[in-house]
Amino acid sequence: MTDIDVKEAAQALNDIEQIVQRVRQSRTYEIASQMMILWGVLVFAGNIATFASPRYGGYIWIGVNTVGALGAIAISMFRFPGAAGRGFDARMAIAFLLFFAFGLLCSKVFGHFGPREMGAFWPIFFMLFYCIAGLWVGGAFVVIGLGITILTLIGYFFITGGAFLLWMAAVNGGGLILGGLWMRRI
Amino acid sequence: MTELDDIIHQPLRLRIMAALNVLPGSVGLEFSRLKKLTGATDGNLGAHIETLAKAGYVAVDKAFVGKKPQTTVTATVAGRAAFARHVASLQEIIAASGRQQ
Repeated sequence: MTDIDVKEAAQALNDIEQIVQRVRQSRTYEIASQMMILWGVLVFAGNIATFASPRYGGYIWIGVNTVGALGAIAISMFRFPGAAGRGFDARMAIAFLLFFAFGLLCSKVFGHFGPREMGAFWPIFFMLFYCIAGLWVGGAFVVIGLGITILTLIGYFFITGGAFLLWMAAVNGGGLILGGLWMRRI
Repeated sequence: MTELDDIIHQPLRLRIMAALNVLPGSVGLEFSRLKKLTGATDGNLGAHIETLAKAGYVAVDKAFVGKKPQTTVTATVAGRAAFARHVASLQEIIAASGRQQ
């Protein structure tokens, strides 16, 4: 049998706490990376499709958001059934819906944004969510959120015409895919 | 009198068990991820996982993902129970010290 003193016991408990935090963060990053890659591919495709057929932009983005939401639910339920002690996280889904509803209120009711403003607003709005979440769950979210926000603003102010959609496909879609791949390696 | 588990008490094995214990029941960690999380080297980690496996505290699953071999380590029910007892013992040592002061 092993005998240890109080200091060693406290050190061992501290080691346990640190590794638990590290595993939780690693698992959060693992789930988030899959979600980001999914959304990155969809956003990339959505921007390219809107560039090719601007008249159908509204339908394209309804489709992107529907497929993205279903895909996110599928990932959390089937790929990580025991994440955070449960499968589908209802509170997370409600938070997402409230966030989405507030975005609609700003962009459609108060703001009457045009296509260009919508193209910049939604990515920045979602990246704000990343930055806020990152303050609690991990700095990588903040880095990705700020990076995509800055690149989106650069595009909004300096890239004119339809090329803005191609820029957004690269920085928002591509940024999420690269961010997801990076997060997987952390 | 508190009883510490000699097998789990070793620092790297403690970290391995702590990492696996935080995951849900049937979920394990892939060898390379476990290595990164615990800060161990390949050989060191392999040896300690073997010790834990011999004690029945972890299950080791070797499979091929595509053409790559992948080793996944999962805490067993006995391992989780032993880890919980070990943590309780550590806490008891600290609590006992507080009572004496």
